[in-house]
Amino acid sequence: MAEDKPKPRPIIRIGLFLISHSLLVSVVCCTAGVLSLLLLPVLGKNTYISENALMPGSARPMLSNDDVSEGERFMNQILRFDTMSTGMEIPEMITAHIMDLGGEVNHHKFLPQFNRFHPLHFFLGPDAGTVPENYSCSSYGINTVGIIRAPRGDGKEAIVLVTPYNSLKITRAEALSMGIAYALFSLLARVTWLSKDIVWLAGDSRHGEYTAVASWLRDYHTASFGDLKHSEICAASNLSEMKTMHNSFRHAGTMAAALVIKVTNRSTEFEKDALTIYAEASNGQMPNLDLINIVNYLAVHGQGYRVKVQKIWSLLNVWWLKSLGQLIEMLGKLAGSLNPQWNFGIPVSEYVECTATLASSLYNQALGVPTGPHGAFRDYQVDAITMEISPKFSSSLNNRQYEILLHVGRLVEGVVRSVNNLLEKFHQSFFLYLLTSPSRFVSVGVYMIAFALLVAPLPLVAASLFSDATKSNPDAEKDKYASKPASTLQPAPTFTSWKWLYAAKQVLVVHLWSAIVTLLPYFVDQIPDSSPTTKLSIWIVLSIITLLFLDSFSGSSFPSTIRSRDTEWILLKSVTVAATFIGLCLMSVINFATAEIGALLLVPMCLTAVPLRLDNKVNTLRALIRGACNVIFIFVGFPVTVFFVLKGALEGFDNMRFGDFWNWAESLWAWNSATYIYMCMVHLPCWVLCIQTLLHRF
Amino acid sequence: MYHGSPLLLSVLGPLTAIKIEGQPNHLLCSLVSVIADFICALLIRATGRILQTARGLNLKFLGLDTMLEDIEIMPSGDIAALVYLWNPFTIFTCVGFNTSPVENLFVVLSLYGASAGIVPLAAFGWVIASHLSLYPVVLVIPVILLLGYCPDTPPRKLFLQRDLQKTGAEGSTKNHVQHRPLTNKPTEATFFWWRVILFFMWASIWIAYVLILCAISVKEYGGLPEMFKRTYGFILTVKDLSPNIGVLWYFFAEVFDFFRNFFLIVFHVNILFMILPLAIRLNHRPCFLAFVYLAISSMLKSYPSVGDSALYLGLMALFVNELAEMQFSFFLFCGYVGVSLLSPVMHNLWIWRGTGNANFYYATAMVYACFQIILVVESVNAMLNHDRKIRKLCTTTEG
Repeated sequence: MAEDKPKPRPIIRIGLFLISHSLLVSVVCCTAGVLSLLLLPVLGKNTYISENALMPGSARPMLSNDDVSEGERFMNQILRFDTMSTGMEIPEMITAHIMDLGGEVNHHKFLPQFNRFHPLHFFLGPDAGTVPENYSCSSYGINTVGIIRAPRGDGKEAIVLVTPYNSLKITRAEALSMGIAYALFSLLARVTWLSKDIVWLAGDSRHGEYTAVASWLRDYHTASFGDLKHSEICAASNLSEMKTMHNSFRHAGTMAAALVIKVTNRSTEFEKDALTIYAEASNGQMPNLDLINIVNYLAVHGQGYRVKVQKIWSLLNVWWLKSLGQLIEMLGKLAGSLNPQWNFGIPVSEYVECTATLASSLYNQALGVPTGPHGAFRDYQVDAITMEISPKFSSSLNNRQYEILLHVGRLVEGVVRSVNNLLEKFHQSFFLYLLTSPSRFVSVGVYMIAFALLVAPLPLVAASLFSDATKSNPDAEKDKYASKPASTLQPAPTFTSWKWLYAAKQVLVVHLWSAIVTLLPYFVDQIPDSSPTTKLSIWIVLSIITLLFLDSFSGSSFPSTIRSRDTEWILLKSVTVAATFIGLCLMSVINFATAEIGALLLVPMCLTAVPLRLDNKVNTLRALIRGACNVIFIFVGFPVTVFFVLKGALEGFDNMRFGDFWNWAESLWAWNSATYIYMCMVHLPCWVLCIQTLLHRF
Repeated sequence: MYHGSPLLLSVLGPLTAIKIEGQPNHLLCSLVSVIADFICALLIRATGRILQTARGLNLKFLGLDTMLEDIEIMPSGDIAALVYLWNPFTIFTCVGFNTSPVENLFVVLSLYGASAGIVPLAAFGWVIASHLSLYPVVLVIPVILLLGYCPDTPPRKLFLQRDLQKTGAEGSTKNHVQHRPLTNKPTEATFFWWRVILFFMWASIWIAYVLILCAISVKEYGGLPEMFKRTYGFILTVKDLSPNIGVLWYFFAEVFDFFRNFFLIVFHVNILFMILPLAIRLNHRPCFLAFVYLAISSMLKSYPSVGDSALYLGLMALFVNELAEMQFSFFLFCGYVGVSLLSPVMHNLWIWRGTGNANFYYATAMVYACFQIILVVESVNAMLNHDRKIRKLCTTTEG
């Protein structure tokens, strides 16, 4: 339409210009996308407390030495139960202590949940879970929940403190974290400023820390006592000892924030005690940045801790990252000398460190697996983080209990006091961000640029290929006759603008196949007594068989007239690129990090795909390079290869087994990670379609 | 909260209460939707057959049949029925137990009745469809045109020219042509007034019938005025602002209260404004006009659902031969797929995860509306181009 008019509107002209130069635009955009991803550490901003009501550090810590010694005594008392018979000693002891403080207590019994692959789990809430059939009375975990009612509150909001401990064998570190919580609890039971209830969950982590917290949260929010109804048989043996009043489930309003307190025995290499923050929940969701900010602020400025977030250590010694950092530092200095206001340069060491942190942040979000028990809270829209305290270099917990108790207690008190000030839920600061260090972050507005640049060529290339394919049939233009379905004998009307339907059908079939592949593990998983390697092989073989079957079933996708043969792969590629674009955009909304990593792999692969026979025919150097690139991209783009290459790069190639991929995929669906769906339903079909384009016959 | 017709409720209401052991609760209701959709598809197919026969006759009359006989004509009725049945939107409405399949059924029934010339059926479909969801009331114009003239034809002027030439070749005068009874093709110039009057008579009978039935069923709940307030009033005043795929909920959630009435009028008049120009421009193609009306009203409706899109997409496939040259079809297809995938994700992000906000979801609703606009504009464009092509062919064959 636009060509008919002598001068179309400017926006259409810009569009046409971009489409006609799609090769150049896509090369520029992709390069810019990768570069801006590498520049993200430089573009990170310093964090700031966005919500004014928080006012961290405005009040003096009230945690006194008495509370701390109380906590220490509590801890020592716990440590005395090193051999446990029923697993009820610690809950009973905590109960007695909380009752003395005037709080409310209840015990929450739960069973481990077996994570079997179920196709609907991805779309259901966190409530869905299966309770195993065979269980024994001793396999119950028992959470102890203590609640302090706020003197100035109305019982509609609560702050949760979580201290996981292994009830089968408690360690000194776990006991210390419980001591911290108890010291705080005894303080908070007395204070007058509290306007949100305090819930202390002493989680029984014999089935894993996450399970304990998740099952308590599930019962808290559904108000059903799912697992208790299975326990009737055990009631006679076990529950009779407990007072009945401790069994009724106690609630304390909606949760404003949750803090998981953990202490490890591993000492850091630093001169200060360190606090590691874990924040990633399922599917790359993060707690509100303000929560991390106040913890970071109070830990650094209040207690003199060194705050860390996870980073990928192996990246710290990569030479090209260092030289890139040097380049950026040099450019920054140069820019600074030209105009003192342009101070974007950061030192090399900081750049490399930030990049390693950013990579870890991306990786953890992309995996979609929570990094700790705080992940369970995010499923209920509660902001939560795990704080892991590790003692400073060459010191152990044993002789510094008192000090750690005091400092961490005061830190958590400050955080509780800040959150207590909140009038609304956390909403002021970012939910979508990547951390480059505990005090620096990249917000969604910045990191989206890298992704947008990376995927921007896709619609352009799709449009340009599409217009090529519709134009490249001069006969059709002339006499208005073109290809037609092979089944009909008479010539068809042109339907030039609908020719893509055949390509769309082919793409649809491949996507249908990918849906089947996604569901196959459900059946493969039920094969008894097979190793991961066998399961993975069965999965792959079944997938290939299904693909061949579907391909033959759907018949030749294009009409078999000779004329459309050369445009057919162009249309197929165009539809593939469009489908990939939709898939990537969709994934960027669900889990940005997955989409970013996926785009890095998929975009070059589907943009360069050209039939190998065509390259063979032309036989120039450029065609040769393009063919080689295609083969390499296709090889690297296969999910299994990606997994092994990444694993090898991170952990070394020594003890890698073929079945690892199955285990990895299993962990993804066990955690309901959308990454699994992305891998099977966006990445894999695109890969297959690119292979089909490469192997296209003329 | 149910704000639909009391008659539909008395049919579907008992079904919601019946539960089959081990089956989902809404199974029976969904079954009703499936049956309605199936009948709807059959009616679309029958309508397509009628349109195709009419098309063949018209082309023959214009003398284009010999020229175009080597062009394969797609069985538009079959395609449209399949498009309607296999449309994911249709399937979703059945799964989600929406009442729109029933509403769609009556809309299509009315169109079928009108194109087949069965006046009582057309009137019945129109009355019930308007009763169920109000918006099909605008279909009265295409239905009248369908009944008055025959089903879709190329522009009527062409037939006159054709006649002129034939008679001119025979040596008759121009004046003579005007008064000459059109014996060989009587339908194209005459307007069957008696059928239209009959339609209105039947329509008033059906309206009276429906109102009486409604009055009986809502007797103890405040009578007919209350029913009008709760059904049509609810549709027109946009009381329910819970998010849907339309554009009105967000707008009326944001707008100041003292502007509310003004914008209510603006939005509803928006649909009415487009009726007359389109009716004048497309009066020779009443079925296509019905499609355009339905698409526009599904865009500006107060509570749209994907079922409305399923209906107009199905009807669009009736004109697959005429729209063969439509522009941007691939772009529109990608847009529809993208939006229908993105919209639930945005909803999840806003409502369940809490990391997004209403703007995220509303953005997809606006994009969806844009794609609908492009679809309407491009299809009308393609249809007019098709008519131009026919005119050109006519003039060349004359020469």
